[in-house]
Amino acid sequence: MEDAVSQLLENREDISQYGIARFFTEYFNSVRQGTHILFREFSFVQATPHNRASFLRTFWRCFRTVGKNGDLLTAQEYHCLLQLLCPDFPMELTQKAARIVLMDDAMDCLMSFSDFLFAFQIQFYYSEFLESVAAIYQDLLAGKNPNTVIVPTSSSGQHRQRQSPNDCSPLDGVEASLFYQCLESLCDRSKYSCPPSALVKEMLSSAQRLTFYGFLMALAKDQGINRALGALPDKGDLFLDPAMDQELEKLVARVSGLSVSGPTSSSGDSSNVPVRNSPRINSPWKPLHHRRKMDAESEGSNEETDSSEN
Amino acid sequence: KNMGKYYSLCYLHLKLVTFVLNIVLQFEFRINKEQSSFHNRLLQHDLEKNYSGRQDNTNFGSSSSISFPVLQRTAEEKILSSDRLTLERQKLTVCPVIDGEDHLRLLNFQHNFITRIQNISNLQHLVFLDLYDNQIEEISGVSTLRSLRVLLLGKNRIKKISNLENLKNLDVLDLHGNQITKIENIGHLSELRVLNLARNLLTIVENLNGLDSLTELNLRHNQVSAIVRKKTLCLFIFDFFSFFEDILCLADSSSLSDITLDGNPIAQETWYKHTVLHHMMQLRQLDMKRITEEERRMASVAARKEEERKRESHKQTLLKEKKRLTICNIARQWEIQQNRIALVASLNQDKDNEPCQINGSDSYVFPEESRSLNTILSSAVQGLSVLESHLVEVEGDTLCLYGAGALECLDRNWSVQTAGIIVTVSFTFIEFDEIVQVLTKLKTKFPNSVHLKFKETNLVTLQQFNALGQMHRIEQLTVDPQGNPVVSFTLWKYYVLFRLNHFNLQKINGVKVTENDIVMAERLFGILAYVASSELPHYRMLSLFGESRRKQFHYLLEGKGKKSGIGSEESSDNRRNGGESTTRATLSYTTKDFHMEKLEEIKERKTFCQTYVENLVKEAADINMKNESLQKLWPQMFIELVRDAVIEIRNKNSYMKLCLQRITDQKQ
Repeated sequence: MEDAVSQLLENREDISQYGIARFFTEYFNSVRQGTHILFREFSFVQATPHNRASFLRTFWRCFRTVGKNGDLLTAQEYHCLLQLLCPDFPMELTQKAARIVLMDDAMDCLMSFSDFLFAFQIQFYYSEFLESVAAIYQDLLAGKNPNTVIVPTSSSGQHRQRQSPNDCSPLDGVEASLFYQCLESLCDRSKYSCPPSALVKEMLSSAQRLTFYGFLMALAKDQGINRALGALPDKGDLFLDPAMDQELEKLVARVSGLSVSGPTSSSGDSSNVPVRNSPRINSPWKPLHHRRKMDAESEGSNEETDSSEN
Repeated sequence: KNMGKYYSLCYLHLKLVTFVLNIVLQFEFRINKEQSSFHNRLLQHDLEKNYSGRQDNTNFGSSSSISFPVLQRTAEEKILSSDRLTLERQKLTVCPVIDGEDHLRLLNFQHNFITRIQNISNLQHLVFLDLYDNQIEEISGVSTLRSLRVLLLGKNRIKKISNLENLKNLDVLDLHGNQITKIENIGHLSELRVLNLARNLLTIVENLNGLDSLTELNLRHNQVSAIVRKKTLCLFIFDFFSFFEDILCLADSSSLSDITLDGNPIAQETWYKHTVLHHMMQLRQLDMKRITEEERRMASVAARKEEERKRESHKQTLLKEKKRLTICNIARQWEIQQNRIALVASLNQDKDNEPCQINGSDSYVFPEESRSLNTILSSAVQGLSVLESHLVEVEGDTLCLYGAGALECLDRNWSVQTAGIIVTVSFTFIEFDEIVQVLTKLKTKFPNSVHLKFKETNLVTLQQFNALGQMHRIEQLTVDPQGNPVVSFTLWKYYVLFRLNHFNLQKINGVKVTENDIVMAERLFGILAYVASSELPHYRMLSLFGESRRKQFHYLLEGKGKKSGIGSEESSDNRRNGGESTTRATLSYTTKDFHMEKLEEIKERKTFCQTYVENLVKEAADINMKNESLQKLWPQMFIELVRDAVIEIRNKNSYMKLCLQRITDQKQ
């Protein structure tokens, strides 16, 4: 609401010409469709989980073709692409995402689109969560058990308190079960979005020990969490978007038709005809809202609530 | 009669013959006489052999030092030519000891095989010594000949000039045809008038200081090509500038009237003759040829022209140098700017004259240093004034701008002719963000500019290319990898092609754009354009576009819903504007500064909106609360209302009275 009013103020001359009611309609329609974050400043884009998810989805839709083409890009270049949609997107987030993919190694390496995208999703959507996790991890490495400070919600936690320092090297990571308990308590008390605990538990159950980046990588790759988030399709379907492909074919046909006719034709050519055959093409994918609700029903776990934001 | 003639003829003939014969005989006699006498007196022998034979009329004494023949002349000869002795072509291998001729003034040893000058130290009065055409390898044995005025040592094997210290009266020194590589040890010969050093191995002529009387200097057939400047005598250099200076020096030495330099490489130069003539007016002979007035005049003219030409090229060189240095200066400033080196720290440093490297991490710059660099340079290159911090240059059809200050030149008034020629505009050492702000000016000032070049302009993101969309026309784009990290991206060219597709770029970085490239670009980024245009709410579109678009869009908004109509109208509009497609135009670039400003505004607005909405919410909450409270309390209130009313009208009469009472009260 606040943002709507802010936008109204910013563009009052133009909006006053076609009516405030219409403005609000459009605004909330775009919120529903997830297009409200286009070209907005970063502070807005990251303001709510819905915004973040919308941004991720938009990024996927716009640059799916780049991934489909098979180009491997550097973190810098992905950052450029992000900046095309959000001009002041900070480099740190991209770097952190790259670190997840590359396991904190050789930061100039090339990454594939799908690797980067899923890692970026985790990093961006769960930024605050990840920060807390990092702190917990460090504590565990150092031997301090955060569980001793906070009353755990699950009774099993009380039996697991350890006083002795953890004498394992960082390469070995921390013990998975202990780690999970800390995460669980974090999820319960955190006011930021967290991945659903059940899924995390499932993920951790297969490992004895894990490192921080190993954990993050596992998070990124986990399709259950991806589906729970609801922004991106499954990894297997990452390059599928039939409606957009159709549009793209039209565009390409127009361009190649043009270039055959010769580049010396007047610049204001038919290539400039906007693709406005209909004012809006409904995205083939249902609005985020619904999807999440559906997942919630199927998963039956506690979803993040976005009413806590804003 | 016939007989008479015959006789007279005969007689004449006879006379002639005898006359000729006499002469011949006389000659022969003379030669023979001399030769025979010599032959009688001298016997050739090797140094090893001892010979002490006696001949007629000769007195050969063998000296104590066995090896040398001793020469003695007869008394008659001594009287005939008392002060001169000629011993040429005597097949001598050594100088003989000359006995009893201490007053000798002329000694001729031409055409022999003498290897060393010896046994003449006693001839203290010797004035003329001729050793031409021998095999002498070093000058020696003449130290006592203080009266010597003419020393002819041509055609020998002398490698070095030496041992002439005492010959202060030397007037003519002939050393031609030797193997001398260096002129030395003659500086004391202040009386020397003629010095012949032709046919030697000289490469540099020097050490002619002190030859105050020199009037003739023969340097023919050497390798001479360089000169050392001396007080009275200067010589020639290959390099043009010094040539002038040295010629001028020579001009001072008025004693020089003859110069022979031909056979030297320097004499092959086109400017040789007239430059010499022009600067040495006192010369009467050059290379053994008299100089005519005509020649002198023409030489003057030619020399002047030559001077002009050289001056011009010198000026060009200077200008080029200045330009190069300016660009270096700008580059240096750019480096500092990029690396953000603090000037404060460097100001406390000592200001030494070290040349700074154009290496960001090492260089400290402060205004003083550019000045000190200046002083170094100005001493090296004349006429260099304060170095600029920007440079504007027109080279052919290219306008080159170096340094941020150069952008101001776009505000200048350019002549239509110059402006019309410019096809390429090249930006170097300027921040791209600053260039963006002047791009629109390019359209008005240089309508024919179709090629943009960027080097060291800090192009780091693809976003920045969006700014080029506002140009009126681009056919070629060159982005130099140096100083433009964006070129290292895989997709940069495709993005450029996509974003600037309305320009129909022909070449990027010199490589022709193919149809495949264009199709690929569209394939990669087409959806971006689609999303950016069709999914953006209207009000956002409007805010992202400039004024010129708003009309278009208002029109569009009205026509919303009509499908085909929009398409054709808009395309015709666009054709009129010659502008970019609306699908791309939403992809814009705001420079960092503008963006910061916008963010500031946004922040302010945000706080306002927050409070505003909060108030609204509070109001709404209040109202809601009141509503709820009302809902809660209403039943009770309603019942009470009803009850009160019923109680009131239970007694009809008293109620009627009550009502009337109320009415009258009201009236009052």
